[in-house]
Order: sequence, then C-alpha cells, then structure tokens
Amino acid sequence: MIDWVFDFISDNAGIIIGCIKAVVVAIVLLQCVPFLVWLERRLMGRFQVRLGPNRVGPFGLIQPIADSIKLLFKESIITNSADKFLFHLAPAIVVFTAIVSFSAIPFGEPVTIFGQTFGLWVANLDIGLLFVFAVSSMGIYGMVLGGLASNNKYSLMGGLRSAAQMISYELTLGLSALGVIVMTGSLNLSDMVKAQETIPNIIIQPLGFLLFFIAGVAETNRAPFDLPEAEQELVAGFHTEYSGMKFAMFFMGEYINMITMSALVTLLFLGGWNSYGLPLFPILAFAGKVFFLLCVFIWLRSTFPRIRYDRLMTFGWKVLLPLSLLNLLFYGFIKAL
Amino acid sequence: MEINDLVYQSAIIIIGLTAVCASLGVILCSSPIYSALYLIGNMVCLAMLYLLYHAEFIAAVQIIVYAGAVMILFLFIIALLGGKKELQEHTLQRTIAFGFAGLLFGELLLAATVGVTKPIEGIFDPVNLKVIGGAKAIGLTLYSKHLVPFELASILLLVATIGVICLAKFPLKQIKKSLNS
Repeated sequence: MIDWVFDFISDNAGIIIGCIKAVVVAIVLLQCVPFLVWLERRLMGRFQVRLGPNRVGPFGLIQPIADSIKLLFKESIITNSADKFLFHLAPAIVVFTAIVSFSAIPFGEPVTIFGQTFGLWVANLDIGLLFVFAVSSMGIYGMVLGGLASNNKYSLMGGLRSAAQMISYELTLGLSALGVIVMTGSLNLSDMVKAQETIPNIIIQPLGFLLFFIAGVAETNRAPFDLPEAEQELVAGFHTEYSGMKFAMFFMGEYINMITMSALVTLLFLGGWNSYGLPLFPILAFAGKVFFLLCVFIWLRSTFPRIRYDRLMTFGWKVLLPLSLLNLLFYGFIKAL
Repeated sequence: MEINDLVYQSAIIIIGLTAVCASLGVILCSSPIYSALYLIGNMVCLAMLYLLYHAEFIAAVQIIVYAGAVMILFLFIIALLGGKKELQEHTLQRTIAFGFAGLLFGELLLAATVGVTKPIEGIFDPVNLKVIGGAKAIGLTLYSKHLVPFELASILLLVATIGVICLAKFPLKQIKKSLNS
C-alpha cells in the first residue's frame, strides 16, 4: 500500500507540485489584499497629512482583519428586482479571473531544492502575456453583469462605462506591450525577463512603459480612471446594490488586478527579477519592484482628480492609441534594421 | 502515464459535453442575457479544447477576440435595449426549424458509419503537433505562405471599419453630397 502511494507520488510529481504551487500562489495572493488595503489607507493618510488607521494593532495592521470580519457579518442585501443568479455570479467572476490571470506570472528563476528543479511560477506558458490579457479581459463580464443584474440605472451605466473603458484601453495595453514582444521575439514572460539582463526595457522604450502603465491604471479601474465607480455621479457604479462580502469581492478583484498589473509592468519593462548589481535575492528584487509600483498606484489616486468621461475616451482613442501605434512602428523599424 | 492519459481523455469529453450543453442553452433559453452568457460559455469551452489539443495561440485568440471583445458588444446591446424574455409560440417556422435540426442530427449519425477515425497526417505528426499551435509556427506560415490573402483580409476589415464609422457618424445624405461635389 505504502509503496503504491510512493510510486503514485513519484510518477505524478509534476501534477502534484503544480497543484501545490497553484494553491500556495492563490492563498498568498488573497492574503496580499488586506495588506494592500491597509497600505492604501495608511499611505493615503500620509499623502493627505493625516494619520490613517492606527488604533487596531501595531500601526493599525489589524484594521483590515477587523474590517473583513465586519463585512462577513453584514447582511447580504439582494434587491427584489435583481436577477439572483447573475447577481451572485458577477463578483465570483471578478475574483476568479483576477486570480487565474496571475497564474501565468513568473516571479523568479527556477530554483533547485533536493535535486528537484522548481520553477517559481504556476504555469510558464509560451503564450504567457496573451493568457494574462485573455483572462483579465474576461473580468469585464463581472462588472457588466453586476451592473445588469442589479436592475438599477446607475449600476447599468457603471457597468457599461467600465466595459467601454476597458475595451478602449486594452488596445493601448496590447499595442504598447507589442513593442516589447517585437524586440524580444517571444510571448513568454520569463524569456522577456531574460532579454533584459543587461538593461531594463524602460530605458530602451520609455514611451512604451508610460503608455503601458497609463493603460494599466485604466484597466484596473483605478483613480484617475475610476469612472465606472465614480461616487458622485454614479453612486459607486456597478456595485451600488452590493453589500457585505459580495461587495468586498469586487474590491478583492480590483486589488488582485492591481498586483497582476504591477507584476506585468515589472516583467515587461523593469527587468523582472534582475537586480542589476544590487545584492538581492531575485524574488526579493521582483517583490520590491511590484511593491514600488503598487505605491505609485496609490500615489496616483491621491494626486490626480478624476477625468471626465468623454475626455477619458478621447484620451484613450485620440492620444494613447496613435502614440502606441507609432511606438510599435518605431521599434518594428529598429528590429527590421 | 496511464492516469495522465485517462485524465486527458476524460477532460476532453467533459469539456466537449459542456460545450454542446452550452450551445443548446443558447437556442433554448428565452432570456437574451442568459443566451449570450451560454454563448460565452461555449466559446470558453472551445478555447479549452484548443488548449488541450496543444493549440495555445488559437485558444488565447479565441478568448481575446470572441469571448472578450465580440461578446461584450453583444451584452452591451442587450443591456441598452433591455433584455426582456421572449414569448414562446408555435409557428410554422418553428416546425420547419425542428425538421431541419432533425435532418442535421440524422446526417451527424450517418458520420458514425464512416468507421475508425485516423490521425491527421502530413505536417501534423506527434512531434510537430507540440510546436504547430504556438504563436511562432502560426506567424511563420501566415506571413510567408499566406501573406497575400492575409493582407487582403486585413484591408477588407479596415474598409468595413471605416464604413461602419461613416454610417454611424454622418447621415447618408451628407456622404452622398460630399461624393457628388
């Protein structure tokens, strides 16, 4: 019996290790969310010259746990006119796609432990970048369905806005990433990091980085592009009718998308886990860059006012898209030479 | 290896069955929102099947283009027009449609008499099969062997895009006037 178990484990080691890695990454990702909420509230406090949450635990660190307990015990209100099934499905789609899109992101070189080589990723796909784009584009459905199922004009407007915004900015996101793909010649994310061993792409393609980052902020529906959830005009947009944990799930999705987007920017433009001479573990270098970008996300939120909706669309289609096409043409030209 | 093979085969069968159920849901559902959702489910199932057959690039494109972009526009329209449930009524068209579906099903059953299926030959041998679905292989054939049709198709799409913008943005009289002057 025991022999059979050991045989089974050694035969299917790949699958078992893959499952364990998937579970570990999903749990760590979900654990990052409360920390990120705490970071956002603390940093926003500092930006606005106030203290931020500092009563619950040291530096207010336990505040997010208290908040999530509060959210769990809140009554889950569903309006009578809402479509019950879609109403429950929408937040699940948002969180699911956010976690799955992170699965294709590598965060370090393969390490060897006990003679076994572990890749520091859940799946190292040849189409890594496309996979992330594909799955994160499915996340829009969560917001549209949330708006549709609520049966509420403001929510519907919020859902439609978010869909329009994300489709518009996805183009810029893809086209500015194409500049990197053209120079690397691969869609694999760890190949892209390998190609940046001497200089990071941000120095070679500063415009591409800027475009990708702006589109990334818009993709994650963060301020100043948080039109879908504009509190003043849309009463919080697609999640007006949501309460309790389902409301929190939309936020979980947003924060995980923020982490994924920061990781993508790090991999594509900041050299991934290359530390460029600094004595750091590769994974720490990667985590540090992601952390810095997350802080920039929060910094942007507390600095810029929200853009008007028509300006947002004009900015996306008439400024960012032509610029990203030019960027792509330029680097295609260089590559062809 | 045996277990892997079993899991692989059963995954294909389960996903295929889900795809069939989803496509049935598209036509049998009376609420347009749910129909659209079933269609999305069907497309995701197809993408998963492509993935299981080592066609990674096609799978990603299927999700990005069809499930991600096209279906969002469908949902947009449904949301703006208000997705009301359709009334089911028996008409002549319905009878004809059922007859047609029965005929198609009969033809499908005839396919079972063909006999044992053979693996595809040519460039699709087991070694090549792992590479052939990748972005590189598709790009190489698309931009060398099929370059002219590919470019023609892209021009056609461009013309269609411009046409749509013209039709949506300007009234028809104005376009005719500018063409005459």
